[in-house]
Amino acid sequence: MKYLFTYPEKCTGCRQCSIACALKKLGECNPKKGAINVLRDEFDRYELQFVCLQCEEPECVAVCMVKAITRGDDGIVRIDPEKCIGCRMCVIACPYGAITSFGGDIIKCDLCDGDPVCIKFCSTDALVYEEENEEILDRRKELAKLLLKKE
Amino acid sequence: MISFPAKLKVGTYYIPHCLKFTTDTQEVDSMLKRKLGIIDLSKEKISIQDVSESLRKKLLGGRGMNMYYLWKMLPEGIDPLSPENLLIFGTGFLSGTLAPSSSRFNTSAISPETGFLGDTNCGGFFSAEMKYAGFDRLILKGKAKKPSYIYIEDGTIEIRDAKGYWGLNTLDVQKAFRKDLGQVEMVVCGVAGENLVRYACLRTGIKNAGGRTGMGCIMGSKNIKGVVAHGGMGIEIAHPEEMLKTVEELKDYLLSSKISPILGSVGTPLLYEVSNVLGGIRTKNSQLNAWNDNFNASEVEKFVEKMISCSSCFMHCRHRNTLGGEGPEYTALSLLGTNLGIEKLEDCIKMQNQVNDLGLDVSSTGTYLAWVTELYERGLIDDKLTGGIELKFNDYETYSKLIDMISRREGFGDILAEGQWSAGKLKDPKHDYLIEVKGLPQSDPHDVRYMKAFALGIATSSRGADHLRSRPTLEIFFKLPPEVRNKIYGAEIANDPATLDTKEHVVAWSENIFATIDCLGMCKFICHGFNSPHFVDYDWMKRLINTAVDWNYSDSEIREVGPRVLDIERLFNLSRGMTRAHDTLPKRYFDDPAPLRTAKGHHVDRKEFAKALDRFYEVRGWTNEGMVKKPRIEELEAIA
Repeated sequence: MKYLFTYPEKCTGCRQCSIACALKKLGECNPKKGAINVLRDEFDRYELQFVCLQCEEPECVAVCMVKAITRGDDGIVRIDPEKCIGCRMCVIACPYGAITSFGGDIIKCDLCDGDPVCIKFCSTDALVYEEENEEILDRRKELAKLLLKKE
Repeated sequence: MISFPAKLKVGTYYIPHCLKFTTDTQEVDSMLKRKLGIIDLSKEKISIQDVSESLRKKLLGGRGMNMYYLWKMLPEGIDPLSPENLLIFGTGFLSGTLAPSSSRFNTSAISPETGFLGDTNCGGFFSAEMKYAGFDRLILKGKAKKPSYIYIEDGTIEIRDAKGYWGLNTLDVQKAFRKDLGQVEMVVCGVAGENLVRYACLRTGIKNAGGRTGMGCIMGSKNIKGVVAHGGMGIEIAHPEEMLKTVEELKDYLLSSKISPILGSVGTPLLYEVSNVLGGIRTKNSQLNAWNDNFNASEVEKFVEKMISCSSCFMHCRHRNTLGGEGPEYTALSLLGTNLGIEKLEDCIKMQNQVNDLGLDVSSTGTYLAWVTELYERGLIDDKLTGGIELKFNDYETYSKLIDMISRREGFGDILAEGQWSAGKLKDPKHDYLIEVKGLPQSDPHDVRYMKAFALGIATSSRGADHLRSRPTLEIFFKLPPEVRNKIYGAEIANDPATLDTKEHVVAWSENIFATIDCLGMCKFICHGFNSPHFVDYDWMKRLINTAVDWNYSDSEIREVGPRVLDIERLFNLSRGMTRAHDTLPKRYFDDPAPLRTAKGHHVDRKEFAKALDRFYEVRGWTNEGMVKKPRIEELEAIA
């Protein structure tokens, strides 16, 4: 299965991923309503993306009292807006701060059903949509380069 | 705390002093519904207004709309530092949307540095946040009774006490606002603005500056420390799928250009080497026109920790440097480097970090320091005036000390804080040694004696010696086929950079398209003709507008915006006493031939220049005296 992987060291903080997400899902440009969020602070000098990791055993599913959140056969964790009562338990429970609560809306990434719009607007590959094994292989290759250079 | 409820209701409000209003719902509406907030600081009266769609169609937003309000609302004959002056913050039309590099806003007033048009364009994240807070323009008038700041959030405006914030530098005050108010975006002045240094700038973030024409000084004169924005009001887009498709296509187009990866890895310093080879780098107050290779982009790169972006930008040209700040840009490399005869890049970066923190304009500060250094060397000023400070080029310690003194108006710094107005005291009453036009020190590092289109551009720019009104960078692209050049500029252009012939077309064309992109709030970095013969042209602009709103905006409509802005700016300046004589160049560019490299021997001939000015006025449709013609004035006055 393909997942979204983030590379904060490459993130420039432009927020186009968040704006594109809100535009696609809600028809408005609003980075605060993106299912992917970029926290940036130029004074503390960081840019960091937050997005649902589609956990195997999601905490959000476990805490949802009305069973509005389910993990589908395709591995994507989705919220059913018809069932959601907006209690924000999932927001609290998510260990990665990856669910957005904004103005009464609970916003969570559903990978656009396999065609995530956000990645199309990243100019530095700080956000990639890849098979997990490919991603691990890429990281290992990077690590190998570093190790070999050191020796 | 004074606060009032005005959640996007149009009307005029006297502020009830004990009322605190909060909102917990966020609304969504089109960018056309964003409000104009007029804040009378003296009377503590706030008016929230709608803006007519017909006016938006004529001037879009950003710089253009600012010019309209400045021209219509500012009384003639006032002192820039008086409460009657206005301070207008205007977001670009597309700011806050997915449109690439749409992070920019303009801040405008009558300038305390020049006495003419004051206007500055700035990136970062403030512009988008101001839009999300429900406003696309704020007009400040009068003067607050005590140090204050403006807080805007989801359609509300408050004038708040700045106790605890006043007296802080630009970084500390922004950190304090973030600590106290959460993830806000803000534009502030530093101590230089509080102390009314005439070229104090506005700052948002670490390095993004509304640098030119002293807008930080106006903020200080109004007892305002900053404008702080927080908002969650999304911008409803008329055709979301179209916008997604158009921007994706535009992103691929922008990033396929050869120049994009270079801009994205080294930023503006890439221009240094190109200009230096030609002999186009202002050095030691333009006594020289080239300097060493220590400031090449490859050297600057050694200090880069990470490249970062402004809001909605694919180019990521900002460096986070390893010395605790951001930058330097090309401008700082020269104005706080070569122009001061600085040998070590590290000294230049440290100085620009300091200037940024204090809230001074890099270009003006560097130009004035170089000016007084030459005056000192020539014996026109002495130790008595400088308070015992010995001025010499490449003296980082002294310059750093002086920069601090300027921001606090201490000793000799108090004289320097007056900028060009101190010329009498410095025994250079006619500015023979000051590199300025219309009272504004030249902004960019470019020594214009060789590249004549650059010379005509800074001479005629509406805010004084400034490259961002018309910089015809394509003049440096020597390998650009003539037919491509002619097609872009819409006229037969002489292929020789050293001639003024035909360059009126180059300058006027550049002015028009740059003014248009300023109205949209997009960065010139992706503007057709600025860094590349490709990039965002009128067709792209039109397409982006038509995805955002249901206007069916036409080709002729988008092309009419720029000239309209330029003519309004001209009218504003003419009403402040500007004449043809102000469209000129620093004496040195006329009289002293450049001494080094390709540019050697080149200067601007006064007679040729006068002829070029005639032709330029003709292209602009102005009279031979540079006046806007009557039918055109009537046409502009009818805009509403």
